[in-house]
Amino acid sequence: MSKSTARRLPRPWGIETLLILIATCAIGWAVVAIACLMVGSTGIGWPNGDVLELRMEWTLVASLVGASLALSGVTYQAVLRNPLADPYLLGVSSGASLAVFLWSMTSATILAHLSQQAAAFIGGVATLAIVFSLSHRRGKLEPLTLLLVGVIVNAINGAFFLLLFHLGGQQDIARAFRFLAGGLQQDLTPAQVWLVCGSFVISLVSLLGMSGQLNISMLSEAEAQSLGVRIDRLRWASMVIASLATASAMAISGPIGFVGLVCPHLGRLLVGNDQRRLLPVAVALGAALLAIADAASRRLGQVPVGVLTGFLGGPFFLFLLWQNRKRAEGQR
Amino acid sequence: MNELLSASNLSFAYSQTPVLKDVSLKLFAGKVLALIGPNGSGKSTLIKLLCGHLHGSGQIIIKDRPLRSWRKRMLARTVAYLPQSPTYIDSDLVSDVLRLGRACYWSAFGLESEQDLAAVARVSALLELDDLLDRRMDALSGGQRQRVFVGRCLVQEPSILFLDEPNTYLDLKHQVDLLKLLQKLAHEHGLAVLLASHDLNLAGAFADELLLLSDGRVAARGDAQTVLRSEIIGPAYGLEMAELNESNYRFLFPKLQEQQEANQ
Repeated sequence: MSKSTARRLPRPWGIETLLILIATCAIGWAVVAIACLMVGSTGIGWPNGDVLELRMEWTLVASLVGASLALSGVTYQAVLRNPLADPYLLGVSSGASLAVFLWSMTSATILAHLSQQAAAFIGGVATLAIVFSLSHRRGKLEPLTLLLVGVIVNAINGAFFLLLFHLGGQQDIARAFRFLAGGLQQDLTPAQVWLVCGSFVISLVSLLGMSGQLNISMLSEAEAQSLGVRIDRLRWASMVIASLATASAMAISGPIGFVGLVCPHLGRLLVGNDQRRLLPVAVALGAALLAIADAASRRLGQVPVGVLTGFLGGPFFLFLLWQNRKRAEGQR
Repeated sequence: MNELLSASNLSFAYSQTPVLKDVSLKLFAGKVLALIGPNGSGKSTLIKLLCGHLHGSGQIIIKDRPLRSWRKRMLARTVAYLPQSPTYIDSDLVSDVLRLGRACYWSAFGLESEQDLAAVARVSALLELDDLLDRRMDALSGGQRQRVFVGRCLVQEPSILFLDEPNTYLDLKHQVDLLKLLQKLAHEHGLAVLLASHDLNLAGAFADELLLLSDGRVAARGDAQTVLRSEIIGPAYGLEMAELNESNYRFLFPKLQEQQEANQ
């Protein structure tokens, strides 16, 4: 190996590099999370006793949801080969919202025996099952078909939602609105939080395990096959895992926009396109961003987090696009 | 000669339309075989069958084992394939693209070894890509980009290399450079190379053997002197051809004047 080449090639992606990156991401998130604990509704300072415990719970839940959304965002964008893909593209959000609205409207159906979180999870997963079953052709998932079916199912869910909105009473609408605005819920049971946490950890480890292959999924099917990747199996496994992570996070948070879309792009600005580096970095960014948004929401008198991420995410995404274009032009 | 691939009686149809009929061929280490034939004659389909991307009837044996019994990862370490229009992300660096070629050697979590990087460095030196390693893919010329894609294939350390019209989008100089490189890889590094080409004369000049496909069948095979004859190529392409012999090479070109008169 010539010296000049050895210098230009980065170090091999070994287990040490992976562990160092994960540790760096965890420390970065922890610093942000500790700062967020200091933010209260009336002022900034280190809290004590019950207040600290409460803020810790909120910060952890926010981080968990943000991390799950970013994890799904990276996976969706890689598998669907679409930089605008976000975790709600396949209908998790519209399905969960519909289920929650149904749950809040009726006490006669089986949904009434469930918690709101369980209803949201079931709605999200049922929509995903419909999208996947309509998209596959002889067991193969085509990114473009998946994307189109997702858009159509979302639109149909939206129409149903409007119909229910039309039929529902003021009380039902107000009850469902709290979920739809995308606010982290504060009446969660420890079991619910642990379930989401477990689902996130399993999804993270599985997708990190596939992260090398996710790089190949950006290529054409023929190229992926000739590089030894079973592309159909990879698409199924990664999309199902990422979608379940989204559904379980959404069950406790409602639809929170832009985190799953922006964090992968922000991560790309920091570490490039390689999914092996991008996954942990985007996950840490997602966790940190939603923790910050949650702290800001506290300071601003409990403005729903989804509203904040929507207001801040849009312009921020435009800024990222502008930065990216400037950088690309600079290198040409 | 060391036989690496043997395909016999391959046939394939898209829905009800037959595309390949009873095609047989062998690939040997150190030899370049060029597939020639008009558009729609089945060149790309044949390559896809040989790679295992399509499944038809007939038998394909690679290194004494049927193609279907190969595990995908192991096959990728033996056979590399360059499609007509390879995919890339504009912002990817050349080194990123080359490293992807080692995906079939990575373990879970995409973990790489020192050997993976050493293979990339060897190929980078061989293809003179050292100075381009930090460049973005969208900052390369068409010729440089094609060299990077050939590099990605070589990083797989294959014994067999399939290339589907690798000269597309290249000017004459870059076409010649690429074919010289493929010839060198075969003759000096022992690769079996199969390339589909529309340029009969360049294919004839660089390949050890030509295989002419016409309407999904093998219309002729042999060296350039045997296959590049007006009475063989003319009917396959539906053109009147003229021959020119120069310094041991035979060149073919269409008789344009007669063609124009016939059209009138």
